[in-house]
Amino acid sequence: MRVAFLVNDLQLSGGVGVVVQHARQLSTIDGWDITLVLVREPEGPSWHGYEHLPHLHVRSREQALAERYDVAVATWWETTFTLFELSAERYAYFVQSLEDRFYRHDEAERLGAALTLDLPVAFITEASWIRDTLASMRPDAPCYVVRNGIEKNVFGPIEQAPVNVSDPLRVLIEGSPSSWFKHVHDAINAASAMREPHHVTVVCGERKALGEVAADEVVGPLSHREMAAAYERCDVVLKLSSVEGMFGPPLEGFHRGATCIVTPVTGHEEYVEHGWNGLLTDWEDLRGTARQLDLLARDRELLALLRTNALETARAWPSWEQSSQFMAAALTAIAQGPAPAAAPAAERLLADLRGGLEIYHGHLRERVDYARRAMRFERRIARVRASAPVRRLLAIRRYRLVKLLAWPLRPLTARARRLLS
Amino acid sequence: MSDWQERITHETAPAIRSEHELRYRVAAPLILAGGPWADLGCGNGLAAAAALGDERPAHAVLVDIEQDAVAAAARALGLPDAGMLAADLTDPADLQRIGEALVALGEGPVVSCFEVIEHLSSFLALLAWSTELAREHAATFVLSVPNDAFWSIRNPHHRTSWSEGAFDELRQLLPAEHTLMRQVALSGSAMLGWEATPERHELAVAVGGSATVPTHFIAAFGARHQDLERAAVAVQTDMGAQRRWERERESNVALAQGTVAEQAAAMRAQEATIAEQREQLREQTAEFDAWRTYIHELERELGRPLSGAPAEDSRQPDGPSQEGTAPAPADRAEPPA
Repeated sequence: MRVAFLVNDLQLSGGVGVVVQHARQLSTIDGWDITLVLVREPEGPSWHGYEHLPHLHVRSREQALAERYDVAVATWWETTFTLFELSAERYAYFVQSLEDRFYRHDEAERLGAALTLDLPVAFITEASWIRDTLASMRPDAPCYVVRNGIEKNVFGPIEQAPVNVSDPLRVLIEGSPSSWFKHVHDAINAASAMREPHHVTVVCGERKALGEVAADEVVGPLSHREMAAAYERCDVVLKLSSVEGMFGPPLEGFHRGATCIVTPVTGHEEYVEHGWNGLLTDWEDLRGTARQLDLLARDRELLALLRTNALETARAWPSWEQSSQFMAAALTAIAQGPAPAAAPAAERLLADLRGGLEIYHGHLRERVDYARRAMRFERRIARVRASAPVRRLLAIRRYRLVKLLAWPLRPLTARARRLLS
Repeated sequence: MSDWQERITHETAPAIRSEHELRYRVAAPLILAGGPWADLGCGNGLAAAAALGDERPAHAVLVDIEQDAVAAAARALGLPDAGMLAADLTDPADLQRIGEALVALGEGPVVSCFEVIEHLSSFLALLAWSTELAREHAATFVLSVPNDAFWSIRNPHHRTSWSEGAFDELRQLLPAEHTLMRQVALSGSAMLGWEATPERHELAVAVGGSATVPTHFIAAFGARHQDLERAAVAVQTDMGAQRRWERERESNVALAQGTVAEQAAAMRAQEATIAEQREQLREQTAEFDAWRTYIHELERELGRPLSGAPAEDSRQPDGPSQEGTAPAPADRAEPPA
């Protein structure tokens, strides 16, 4: 079986890491040959550790165009631009999140990412909620769930959850501060609003984007092993994301004996049970989150119970070896099954395009209207400024006496200037 | 107790034996329908023998990783003519061999595969082979996996972990037409005559509901997947064995707690001794320091090198000569108290 996974690049990110894990595991199966196709020029640090595998290759887009595959798999919405350029028996799309949600409402990429879900492809996804969403959007297309595995030799479940009887509650916050939907700063603010003794560790690879924060410790970027050790040192993983795919970090924490406090973000339902192995907190409720952290800091029996149950949940979670067997079976089913029909996909694509165009027109009309109103306002201001009394008033500003008299009015005039600018 | 390979033996706890027996019992209508039967991971064959009662399929192929287990299963089932194959279910060649043996025995075979998948390093070959056999030879498969999410035990024999989510991933890869079941645990009690003469009771048990937690997941697919029956089994608990196990656990816990308490007390006593000795050491150090100072003063007065100091530093550069310079007794420093 010859499979091509299309990736933008091999830069260190969670999504690419998942693809690389699958590629590595699949390449070890007899008769499987896996290619990672880079659709963009590589830049920055990359995933490594696959160079020695004889059945795992890395190819540029140009090189891949000359080859033929049984299944070609897009792994990020932008990689679908190259998907149909490749020669393959079947085309699939590994959906790790509904990627349009990564963009704000007025960003063009939002529509682009959404439209790629209308392509005539078979879907593979990593979370049940994505499968359910795709099933309602695309009942015509086959969709397989392959949940991400856990690298058990790195994050392998520890024997027993460590007990913290009297030390300050150790809180770990991780994530990219430059991704607005990760809400890393909110999590830090919630932890710093705790009343009980605590120790906050922030794991972050982007120190500049993080800025100055109220944390006891800022570390990172960390290797997987260092991350596992960091999880093991903490009692609770705090994550307040508003968009997630499979939501891996708290699960990795579970493997090292940490519980979690998380928002009810998509993906949490795969393994977080409120009051059993973690706690759910409300959206944008930083004060409530701080009180939940305080609760764990005070009630050490509850903390120990949640950590013990979190470890139990971790034990039943599949490894990458198992997960990739499901991936192999899904790819086999896609290769052996019929190709998805193009007509329903095209129908859906055009309907979504029309909807997108209407939204775009709406935005455009709004903006033109704003511009027109602004122009009218600016013309009036220009007329007032050009009138003789205002010109005289503006002219006397340079006298020291006028400046002194106008000094108490500065806040008012500053505000007026801001409004007019 | 069950042996190290997790095979069912006569000593296996009754609850676990009945659990295994029930899986064969729900598949019994398929196994006894007339077609050949293959039992993958047959073990010692005890659960299948109990579930099938006096009836046996006309043709059978018993498969296990160990030849001894296959022979034991043939004996337990009273099927000396059964095909006996030692095979690795991750090996496509072995699976091919099983398929050929089974198909040679007739059409419409039934294959049971209970509590086996979690022991395999890879279930890919088995999955591909079973779906092909179901498609090409109208075979019916019944399989089960445990709900590992429910058991907080690290099982050294399980190569893969199963839960509702993992089973859902497996389910989507089975042929579209299939039957799924959840197996749940039962508890109960019975009343019988004073003489404890063996009796038989027909039970009506309410099962299911929103809080149902399955112990195992069952799937059947292939030509006759819908013939899988729903059933329940209850067996008398071996209270003697259970009591022994529980008392052992209790006594072990009590012993462990006692040991911990004893060690904690010993540790406290040691800490007290250490604190006492530290205090004594501090006092003695202070006393020795005072003596040293006194002796050094005397040595200075006598013009002697200071004891306990390096040779070059101990000599007083401008010290008086040793002869005729001893101070009056009244001028001497007082020895420390």
